[in-house]
Amino acid sequence: MDGAVWQYCLERLEGEIPDQQLNTWIRPLQAVEDASQLRLLAPNRFVLDWVREHYIARIEELVDQHGAGRARQVILDIGSSGSPATAGRKAPTSVAPQQGAGVVSSSNINPRFTFDTFVEGKSNQLARAACTQVADNPGGSYNPLFLYGGVGLGKTHLMHAIGNVMLQKNPNAKVLYLHSERFVGDMVKALQHNAINEFKRHYRSADALLIDDIQFFAGKERSQEEFFHTFNALLEGQQQVVLTCDRYPKEVDGLEERLKSRFGWGLTVAIEPPELETRVAILMSKAAQEGIDLPDEVAFFIGKRIWSNIRELEGALRRVIANAQFTGSPITVDFTKEALKDLLALQDKLVTVENIQKTVAEYFKIRVSDLLSKRRSRSITRPRQLAMALSKELTSHSLPEIGDAFGGRDHTTVLHACRKVVELRESDPRIAEDYANLLRTLTT
Amino acid sequence: MTEVPAQLPLNIRWNDAASLEQFVAGANGRALAAVRQLVAGPGAPAVYLYGPEGVGKSHLLQAACRACGHLGLPSFYLPLASAWSPAMLDGLESMRLVALDDLQELAGDPGREEAVFHLYNRLRDTGGGLLMAATARPADLDWVLPDLASRLAWGLVERMEPLDDASLLQALRLRAERRGLDLPEETGRYLLARYPRHSHALFALLERLDRAALAEQRRLTIPFVKSVLGQR
Repeated sequence: MDGAVWQYCLERLEGEIPDQQLNTWIRPLQAVEDASQLRLLAPNRFVLDWVREHYIARIEELVDQHGAGRARQVILDIGSSGSPATAGRKAPTSVAPQQGAGVVSSSNINPRFTFDTFVEGKSNQLARAACTQVADNPGGSYNPLFLYGGVGLGKTHLMHAIGNVMLQKNPNAKVLYLHSERFVGDMVKALQHNAINEFKRHYRSADALLIDDIQFFAGKERSQEEFFHTFNALLEGQQQVVLTCDRYPKEVDGLEERLKSRFGWGLTVAIEPPELETRVAILMSKAAQEGIDLPDEVAFFIGKRIWSNIRELEGALRRVIANAQFTGSPITVDFTKEALKDLLALQDKLVTVENIQKTVAEYFKIRVSDLLSKRRSRSITRPRQLAMALSKELTSHSLPEIGDAFGGRDHTTVLHACRKVVELRESDPRIAEDYANLLRTLTT
Repeated sequence: MTEVPAQLPLNIRWNDAASLEQFVAGANGRALAAVRQLVAGPGAPAVYLYGPEGVGKSHLLQAACRACGHLGLPSFYLPLASAWSPAMLDGLESMRLVALDDLQELAGDPGREEAVFHLYNRLRDTGGGLLMAATARPADLDWVLPDLASRLAWGLVERMEPLDDASLLQALRLRAERRGLDLPEETGRYLLARYPRHSHALFALLERLDRAALAEQRRLTIPFVKSVLGQR
C-alpha cells in the first residue's frame, strides 16, 4: 500500500475545507493504511478530538467512495509514523511503538557538536578545559560538572562534545543528553503509565546523564524530587552528571536548597560572552563549515556589531549567506551592511563612544569630563581604561579615533588600556564584574 | 472505481488556496526562497518572517503547509492570535513543518513562550522545520524568555515588504483567475487607485465582486465595479 487511500481523501478534502482549517487539522495527520483499515495518527489529543468531531464522518465517506464497496475501517489514534526529517514521498508503512512508559533509549547526542568544532577563546577556555577533563575521565573528580552562563554561549555544544568523546571511546556507553523539559515529561508519562520503576532504571543506568537548562526545573517539585534521587544514585555509582543553567545555581528561584547545594559538589564553571576575537573566529569557522570563504573584514564587521550571544551572530551570518546565494553577489562589507541593515539598525544607533563615556561615568559616579581630563588618579584611570576598551569592543572606531574622543590621546594609550583591561578582567574579579555589568547596560 | 463528485457547500468557493507557485514575490523573493528551502529539508533551524500586515506572511505559511502535504509530509499551521493552549503543541515534533503565525501575540506570556521554546528544541532534535511570522523582528518584541529570543535570532530572519503596484496588480489578477474570474487590467488599476492597497482588504473586495458578478452574470468592467462598490 502506498498511501493511495489517504491521498485520495486529501485531494477531495482540499476542495472542501478552507485552507486554514485544512492546515491546522488535516495536514498534521499521518496515515498508515492496509487492505482493511486506514489508521490516522494525530500529533496530540487536540487534533484528534477536533478531527473526530468535525471531519471523521466525511473522511469515512471518502474512504468508502475510494474502496467502491470494499469496506475499510478508519481508526484515529495519537502517535507518529516515523521521523519527519527522513520520511520520503511514500507514506510510511510501519508504526513506531507508542511510547508507553515514555522512556526512549536513544542518546540524542549530536555528532556535529564536538570539541573540534568548538571555537575557543578567553570567555570559554575554562569551561572547555573542564569539559575535556570530564570527557577523558567521566565520573571522576568533576562530578557533577555544572556549566552556567547566558543564552547562546555554547553550553549545549560543550555538553554534546563530552558525549561524543565518551561514545567514541566506548560506542556502547549509555550517554543520555536531554533538555530538562524532557526529563519532566518522561517522568509525568511514567507516572501516568505506572512505569516509574522503569523510568528510574533508565536514568540511573546511564554512564553519563547530561541535562540542559535545569532552570526549567524551577517550581516543579515532583520532578525535582525524582531528579534529586536520580542525581544521588548516579553520583554514588560514579556515573557522570553534567548540568547547564542560565545562571549560577544558587540564583535559580524555585529550586530546592538541597539540589542547589549538591550542584556545587563537583565543579561549577561559567561561560562568558565571547570577546571580539572569538566572535570573529566563530564566524570564520561557521562560514568555513558552510563552504563559504568569508573575508576577514566582513567577519570583523559583523563581530563588531553583534556581541550578545553566538546564536545571534550565527543568525546574522546565515542572513548574509542566504542573501549572497539568492542574489549571486560576492560577500563584501558593503553587501553585508546592506544585507543586515534592518537587523543592525537598533544596535548602531545605541552604542557610540559618547554613550559609553556617559554610561561608564555614571557607573563609577564620576564626570564625563574626568574621563577626558589629564587626571591620572586610580579612581579615574580605571574607568577611563574600561571606557576605552568598551569603545574598541562595541564601536567600529579605530584606535586613533577612540584616542581623539578621549581628550586627544595617542592610539598607543588606547591600545595599552585595552590590554590592561583584558589582564585585569582575569586577575581581578571585581573589574571583571564591572566590565560585564557595563557591557550588559550598553548592549541591552 | 467510480468517482462520486465531492459535495461542495455552495457558500465556499475556496479555490484561492495559498500555494508557493502562485505567490507573487515582488521584493520578497528571499523570503520565498527561504520557505522553499525549509520545505525541501532541514537547513536553517528555523525561518522567521516579519513585516507589516498584508505583505503575504500568512500566505507563505499556509502555502508551505500545502507544499508539504503534496510531498506526503505532515505539517501543522497555528495562528497564535487565536485561542490556543500549550497542549496543542504536544507531539508536533513529528511534523515535517510547523508554521506559527502572529508570533507577536506570544511575546510577554511566560507559559506560552516556554511552550514554544520547548517545541523549538524538540523540532531541533527531530529535524523538523519551524516557520514563523510576526509583525516585528525578534529583537523588537518583549520576550520574557531570553532562551526563546536567542533561538529566534538564530534562524534565518527575513523581512517582507509590501508589494509594489505592478506586483500587487499581478497578485490581484492571479487571485481572480484562481476564482475563475477575469479581472481586466484597467479594472485592476481602478481598484488599486481607489481602495486600500493592503492585500487582505483587496482580496476581500475581490470576494464581494466575485459574488456580485456571479449573481448578476456580469463581467468585471469598471462601470460594473462602480455600481457594486459605489462611486469613489
